[in-house]
Amino acid sequence: MSPLQLNRRVVVGAVGAVAIAGLVFACQATRSKPINLAAGDAASRVYIAPGQYDEFYSFLSGGFSGQVAVYGIPSGRLLKVIPVFSQNPENGYGYNDESKEMLQTTFGSIPWDDSHHPELSQTDGVPDGRWLFINANNTPRVARIDLTRFETDEILQIPNAAGGHASPFTTPNTKYIVSATRFSVPIGAKRDVPIASYKENFKGTLSFITADQPGKMDIAFQILMPGYNYDLGHAGKGPSEGWFFFTSYNSEGAYTKLEVNASQNDKDYVAAVNYKKAEECVASGKAKTMQADYDHNYTDPKSRIATTEKKTSVKLLDPRDCEGVVYYLPTPKSPHGVDVDPTGEYIVAGGKLATVIPVHSFTKLAKAIEAKQFDSTIDGIPVLKYDAILAGEVQKPGLGPLHTEFDGKGNAYTSMFISSEVVKWKLGTWEVLDRMPVYYSVGHIMIPGGDSKKPWGKYLVAMNKITKDRYLPTGPEMAQSAQLIDISGDKMKMLLDFPTIGEPHYAQALPATLIKDKSVKFHSLAENTNPHAVRAESETNISRTGKTVHVEMVAIRSHFAPDNIEGVQVGDTVKFHVTNVEQDWDILHGFAVLGANTSELILQPGETRTLTWVPKDEGIYPFYCTDFCSALHQEMQGYIRVSPAGSNVPLAANISPKAKAQMAGAK
Amino acid sequence: MTRLSRVLLAIASVLLLGAFLFPLWRIDLVAPQYPEGLGMLIRVNTVTGIQPNDLANINGLNHYIGMKPIEPDTIPELRIMPWILAGLAAFGLLVAALGARRLLYGWLGGFVTLAIAGLIDFWRWEYDYGHNLDFEHAIIKVPGMTYQPPLIGTKQLLNFTASSWPALGAACLGVAFVLGVAALVIARRRGADVKRASMAMAVAVAACAPPGPQAIADKGKSCDYCRMTISDERFGGQLITRKGKVYAFDAIECLASYYLQNGGAGDGSSIWVADFANPGHWVEAKNALFVRNEAHQSPMGLNLVALSDDGETAAAGQVQGTTLRWQEVLALVQSEHGARWDHAEADSVAR
Repeated sequence: MSPLQLNRRVVVGAVGAVAIAGLVFACQATRSKPINLAAGDAASRVYIAPGQYDEFYSFLSGGFSGQVAVYGIPSGRLLKVIPVFSQNPENGYGYNDESKEMLQTTFGSIPWDDSHHPELSQTDGVPDGRWLFINANNTPRVARIDLTRFETDEILQIPNAAGGHASPFTTPNTKYIVSATRFSVPIGAKRDVPIASYKENFKGTLSFITADQPGKMDIAFQILMPGYNYDLGHAGKGPSEGWFFFTSYNSEGAYTKLEVNASQNDKDYVAAVNYKKAEECVASGKAKTMQADYDHNYTDPKSRIATTEKKTSVKLLDPRDCEGVVYYLPTPKSPHGVDVDPTGEYIVAGGKLATVIPVHSFTKLAKAIEAKQFDSTIDGIPVLKYDAILAGEVQKPGLGPLHTEFDGKGNAYTSMFISSEVVKWKLGTWEVLDRMPVYYSVGHIMIPGGDSKKPWGKYLVAMNKITKDRYLPTGPEMAQSAQLIDISGDKMKMLLDFPTIGEPHYAQALPATLIKDKSVKFHSLAENTNPHAVRAESETNISRTGKTVHVEMVAIRSHFAPDNIEGVQVGDTVKFHVTNVEQDWDILHGFAVLGANTSELILQPGETRTLTWVPKDEGIYPFYCTDFCSALHQEMQGYIRVSPAGSNVPLAANISPKAKAQMAGAK
Repeated sequence: MTRLSRVLLAIASVLLLGAFLFPLWRIDLVAPQYPEGLGMLIRVNTVTGIQPNDLANINGLNHYIGMKPIEPDTIPELRIMPWILAGLAAFGLLVAALGARRLLYGWLGGFVTLAIAGLIDFWRWEYDYGHNLDFEHAIIKVPGMTYQPPLIGTKQLLNFTASSWPALGAACLGVAFVLGVAALVIARRRGADVKRASMAMAVAVAACAPPGPQAIADKGKSCDYCRMTISDERFGGQLITRKGKVYAFDAIECLASYYLQNGGAGDGSSIWVADFANPGHWVEAKNALFVRNEAHQSPMGLNLVALSDDGETAAAGQVQGTTLRWQEVLALVQSEHGARWDHAEADSVAR
């Protein structure tokens, strides 16, 4: 029986179950009063009345959209899309002069990436609502999103890496976030090697990135690893604090047809990293300083201008030079997720081809290390005996276990990709308690705080990879689908389907109360340090430097100042520096000019943004406000005149007396 | 002026300075798209937004209707008002220092005049902003519509609901005025001692304060039982109901008779008798020591006086005679005059 056939059977069975459930609820509906909570009252469970707020903010990765989507839970309402690794013409992120450096890498500016795993910053192992981190998988990077503004402020490129998949999981106080290579590659000076020399030349790295200070993200050290595919990770906590666990697959060292060749071994490895030990070794000079070029981009919160810092070296630690820094935990079979329970004792690995869910014990792991219960050593990394570290196995959990989250009440929930279900089981007894079919083929699941010390175990969100018939059809390409499940009782209850942007991989959520009152309403104009900021109409300005014309403009309800500009010539580059001088909540303006080869600007109150425009032909070009700001928004427009090169039309703008004085001086 | 009234006036004068610390008036503006509201605080020397940018945002919105921007620097009253208020405070302190009651009248008169003038002026500015609109440049013109906010109360101005109410600074001024009046009342009452005056102040400042006894021999007040004018308070009594209504009596007998006829004093009320040895001082009947002695010819013939029972008065031998308690006084009055005790009869006998 192929997985596909089984999948169909499960689906048919599940549809039947839903049909029966429907009958049951139909019967219940005739009762005057429902006796207990059931999926029959799902509508009221997820209904948030107009003007009311959701209980949780959830942050779903945008996957191949490169962004983060924020949904309210339990309503499933989309609150915001935060641009991170992809240009966003909707608000000009990555297009305007101020923000485009955010997408700078050593490969040049990259307009897109594949964002995978959102991770909330933590204090003492609990999400604290300061920041959200997320990784870029294609060109390895990590980003910091400030949760007072829901904006990407910082992006750090990861050198010596390809496929930044096992990222950006955090240590309990966000001292470090991590990034590990999914695609091992040759690193160092000699990179032009035959692909067939994989086993000899290809390496993995585990990067530990300091993350607890905005603007100061940096790679503390990298650990050089055998050339496997490092897939996911999670930090230890409580007794296991100071350790980090990464899954790996392809211990076969396959470099072609991995679906077959990397699925040969019965067991691959979870790498257990003692990062306190690594710190010691780095401090005592055991790491090599290696030349490596990578970019660090940071947006100054006052000027709101992103700048790129070029970095040139990393500290690389070889486990052979630092005994006891890494151990391998044998784990069946091509493990994907590795998740640490709230107590920090159990390390759960989801072997995507395994028939059980293996759970390692941190206590046993520590003892096995002490007793040197090793099977072998790989590149200086001892491989512990499977039986010596195993706490237990969940038998017959389903097919294709991927990811596990915890409810803080002693239960674990694991997503089953192939059998398309979420399975609830008990920590310690390893017995399966409940199953909930999900539609279709679930990848990650998320419980608010479900990977932390204190989960808010009320809801579970399943992020499904296949949508098919869940919504009105939209052609061959459709939104992906999330499902909200009530996990507050003994049995899971399906509450809601909601479509998502891109492909959500992982997600994080936390109570809205941890964030909502810190939300910024506008930027202080007085603190705006953009050199082209103007704070009043009297400060507006127009000037020429060679072939570049700078227009320093004001946007305010409901006009631009100036709104008539002349004296620009074909061949000039015009920089529209527009400042939204409003100091009022949710009064945004936009700016677009006919024929511009870039996106519009969206201007938050108090913010300055720059649109660069190179007019190619003479004529009159209108510009206008693109964000419906006020009753007279349609009147918020202006004209710019472009004359042929060498024309004697003087540079002029209306309204600004300062500009007029300057022009008089220029004559 | 008594010491207490001077102290009260000094406090009132200092309280005026509260208007420098707190806004006098508050105008709130709420609209569908401004659920969080905008607002202005009128201060003694300036106008500010409730939130830091509110004033600029209000002016920004007002440009649509042609209202001129509210610029505190262009309002001369805001430069004068601090001096006027400071002057009033200084004058109050001077009056307190001099203790001249006539000047206190002047202070209160000036206060009232300035307050009325201030409110009228405030209203005129509101009228000016609301009516003198720049129609040439106004973007939104609604025929017949004006935008004057209310002086006190709530009014709809296009999409905004404007509410205007006094703020803490005005409350300071209000309390200062009440204290000033209290100072005058106390100053006018000769011989008022500290305790009595503080009772009066408590009544004046806080209406919720428990009611206490008052002077009853003033202004030809007559007995609420026998209708005779109360000329000598020393034999008197009073009954104060829960709501603070005062029944005055020229003699303890009248008080007792009223009490007997009405079957008691009622819940929450208090019964007071004048301390014979300590003029102007009142004692609760239940705590008083009553003395019957022919040497004291009380108005109603039972020769009863009351003393504060601190054990000293009687011991000092100031008053001699039969001592009674309030219940015994009631019994005496009952037996002497009976239920039919009729003051008119006694009155005619006395004459």
